[in-house]
Amino acid sequence: MLRPERMRRLLIAAPKSEIDTIVRELYRYNVYHIEDFVPESESPEGLSIGHPLSGASDAASALIKVRAIENACGIDPENVEIKERLPVSKVREMIRTDLPAIQKEAEDLVGSRSRLETRQKEHEQRARELEPFTAVPLDLEFYRGYTRFTVFTGHIPHDVEIGVPNEKYFSDRVAGNMIVVVVQNEHREEVERTLLDAGFQAIPVPEETGAPADRLKAHLEEAQRIESEIAAINGKVAGIREKRTDFLVACDELLTADVERAEAPLRFATTEETFITEGWVPEDRADRIRDTLEKATGGRIYIEELEIDDDTAVPVEYENPVFAKPSQVLMDVYARPRYSEIDPTLLLAIVFPIFFGMILGDVGYGTVLLLLSLGLRKFLKGEGGRMLLNVLSIASISSIIFGILYSEFLGFSLPWPALIFSRHLNIGGAAGGHGPQVVELMILAIWIGILHITLGRILGVLNARKLYHGKHVTQAILSHIGWLGVMWGILLLIWSFFPIPMMPDLTGLPVVAMGFNVSAVAGIVLLVAGVIGIAQENALEVVELPTIISHVLSYARLVAVGLSSVAIAMVVNYISIGMLIEPQLAAITPVGVIIIIAGILVFLLGHVLNTALGLLGGGLHSIRLHYVEFFTKFYKGGGIKYNPFGMKSKFTEE
Amino acid sequence: MVDVATTLEIAQASQAGMSAVGAGLAVGLTGVGTGIAEMGIGAAAVGATAENRDMFGLALLFTVIPETIVIFGLVVALLLLF
Repeated sequence: MLRPERMRRLLIAAPKSEIDTIVRELYRYNVYHIEDFVPESESPEGLSIGHPLSGASDAASALIKVRAIENACGIDPENVEIKERLPVSKVREMIRTDLPAIQKEAEDLVGSRSRLETRQKEHEQRARELEPFTAVPLDLEFYRGYTRFTVFTGHIPHDVEIGVPNEKYFSDRVAGNMIVVVVQNEHREEVERTLLDAGFQAIPVPEETGAPADRLKAHLEEAQRIESEIAAINGKVAGIREKRTDFLVACDELLTADVERAEAPLRFATTEETFITEGWVPEDRADRIRDTLEKATGGRIYIEELEIDDDTAVPVEYENPVFAKPSQVLMDVYARPRYSEIDPTLLLAIVFPIFFGMILGDVGYGTVLLLLSLGLRKFLKGEGGRMLLNVLSIASISSIIFGILYSEFLGFSLPWPALIFSRHLNIGGAAGGHGPQVVELMILAIWIGILHITLGRILGVLNARKLYHGKHVTQAILSHIGWLGVMWGILLLIWSFFPIPMMPDLTGLPVVAMGFNVSAVAGIVLLVAGVIGIAQENALEVVELPTIISHVLSYARLVAVGLSSVAIAMVVNYISIGMLIEPQLAAITPVGVIIIIAGILVFLLGHVLNTALGLLGGGLHSIRLHYVEFFTKFYKGGGIKYNPFGMKSKFTEE
Repeated sequence: MVDVATTLEIAQASQAGMSAVGAGLAVGLTGVGTGIAEMGIGAAAVGATAENRDMFGLALLFTVIPETIVIFGLVVALLLLF
């Protein structure tokens, strides 16, 4: 909690004869994060990158085949539902017996489909070329084969007069008009100039015979027929997908594992007779993996635990309670924490839903989003997507709770008055009670901002002690305290001059000098000391001072965005019910029924739009408050993802 | 002959109207400002996302950063109206 999982750095050395066993054991345990060996000029003589285990290229080429089939059939292993796990031995057997046949079938189908598609395109192209000629009642063979005449065919914006003896046909039945001119060869250049001046665009005569309309029809029919053939092939491909998905994803998984195992020595350092590898193991599993390896190799292995000297090199794995795990996906969007710093995932997991609920506090929208997040689970099967949906579920539950507190349901009020501050705007004269408490809500949001930022700065102090060394620690801590001093100094100053509801009223304190009272003087002292604290770390940071005010005020979005969503909901209700449906219900007429239906449509459309806006507004603004206002106060990030060597098998079992 | 009460009423009504106009200007102008600011960021963000799908989250985030401006406008408008 609040920090990544503790890691240990292991160095494993063993004779090359044991490499197979060790790789197999490491892969099975799926905890060892390999640090790739990179040969450098300062690395000891005689160390070089290892060679892949035997069978690597066979497995790799089989894997390529499987992936090709999956690709052709549109199977994505990420999104395949796990039905049953196939035993490894059976999959291996089937790779030998069934895979070649499946591959041939899939290849044939895809090959003939692409051939048909090419032919279909050709026919469609021909049909397009023929189209202008259908406007001219002349068979295609009569356009060519003359020795004394020249034929011009093409588009032209308007009909033209040709000054020499000619045979001409003009039609405006097709797009761009069609003109055919036949002249004697000696007038050719003259006529060409006349035509070009009129904007003539030549089109070639298709190499076919017969009436253009018939040919066009024939080509279109052919394209249609090929279309149905393609559909039949697609049906067969779908059949393969239907029948073979389980086997193919199992193959994919098994072969991927084979390839990864076989290629592991490429990440090791080797000498003539031995190999060495460095890597990371979570602390609680380090001893077990050590024992297992020693047992498996019969003691022919050397394992040493190394010191951790550089925290940027340590792979980082989150360690959070179950409810906070989905929020890790939001952390990864920003940056994974560094090994030694505070991991704020837990804080994010608690505060994000609260912010979301404050913005979109509505029982109706909350329920819709909750159902949506549960329903989308069927379609989103990847891990990241699932986690996002979990975040959304938690956030929408929070939205429902805040909806009950605000007493809001799709912009209507629930049977009770708002339990906390009301957001009921007076739209369409419907508001009861004491109307919206905008000012109170705004001050509440500012308070949240002040506390959130203060928390961020305190975490910054704690982080500075972990991240920096020597003199820099004191400097960083002083600067964080300085920022806090400036913020609270400004607050004390404001409170000493202006009484603000829901904030301490310090205007009545005894005046010390020049109209400044005790709190004002304390504020000024804090402010000046704070600026000095900031400047001693980096004088340029003083330029950033205005961000104190803008960041605190930025939390006002918790109210502003929420109120705008309430306003949209109320306006939609007023237009659809107040203006369209209700007046018609008094006396129902046929036209009235149509207006009522229109009203229902407006209602649905408006609320769908507002749900989408609410999701976007609530989610983006809450997360942004974390990323921009909160994390910038203390968070460094940039840790390497812990990526253990091995795989959690989904489709196969030993 | 206009009596004092009517004058006062007119003054108050026009005051309310002016504050409504002010609220509208606050939201409208800051909206334009946000739009101009997001224009460049949005174009760059779409480009980056097209190059690398993983950028989507960060790109979306960068794009909404200038929203702060219009939020301030909205805050001012709400304070003017209530």
